[in-house]
Amino acid sequence: MSTDAEHAPQSSVAPPVSKAELDRAFEDLYRAHLRDVYSYAYYRVGNHHDAEDLTEQAFLQAYRHFERARRESDGRPLRPWLIRIAHNLASNYYRDRARRPEANIDAVEPPSHPHDTERVAEGREELREVISRLDELPEDRREALIMRFALGMSNREIARALGRTDGATKVLIHRAIKQLEESMEGREDE
Amino acid sequence: MSETAGQFDLERLLSDALRPIEPPENLATRMETTLSSIAAQAAAELSSWADELSEGELEALRDPRNWVRPVAAAAAGGAAAGALVLVGLSRKRSARRGGGRLGPLDLWR
Repeated sequence: MSTDAEHAPQSSVAPPVSKAELDRAFEDLYRAHLRDVYSYAYYRVGNHHDAEDLTEQAFLQAYRHFERARRESDGRPLRPWLIRIAHNLASNYYRDRARRPEANIDAVEPPSHPHDTERVAEGREELREVISRLDELPEDRREALIMRFALGMSNREIARALGRTDGATKVLIHRAIKQLEESMEGREDE
Repeated sequence: MSETAGQFDLERLLSDALRPIEPPENLATRMETTLSSIAAQAAAELSSWADELSEGELEALRDPRNWVRPVAAAAAGGAAAGALVLVGLSRKRSARRGGGRLGPLDLWR
């Protein structure tokens, strides 16, 4: 997912000097990561309307600080920086409006099994359950799982996006999966 | 993560449940319009700033000999600001040493 884009111009070429070059570089970044930022926003806020607003705000903020981010990134991919912006905006979104994410799974289609409708129904139910249990996790654990599974980010990228060390991030993801697993097992026992 | 007693494979489930979401078409269009207009606005501001300068002023700006005055002015301004900060600090210090007037809430001095 967007892996090509991570190694696209911004990671290998020296920072541009002209405004036009900078705008072109930003356009590349935007095209490469629009889906990532939107997916992250959607899984954080749980509805398309707010996810659109959040994505737009994230890119506008990124545009304002792009030159500096490029300079300071030292050639590293900028996806974690973008996701971090979206993360901060999403945190403000909850703080300002005192809301919790909605477990909206309209966009989550189960894996297709065209010859077995019963399995489709079971799959849908299982996915609904995972999303609902995911929403019960502490915010940092839920976010780490969204970054890992919805965006396909590596531990290192997640660490940069969350402002943690690689080791702490590995532990965070491990604990998140373990907690979710226990929660799902508990459901099966119910 | 492996299957837990044949019940479920959580990582597979997570991958299925958290699949990337395609942004709506109108968002991409809206974003591109907004970003283009911001870029165009910035470019227009720059060009109007340049237009406001007469040819002679532009020539003068290009001549490095004329850069000395603005640099000197900036340095003088910086020095003045630094001096103000120092004066402020020294006032605070003398006030802390007891030279300052006591306020209604300074009960312990």
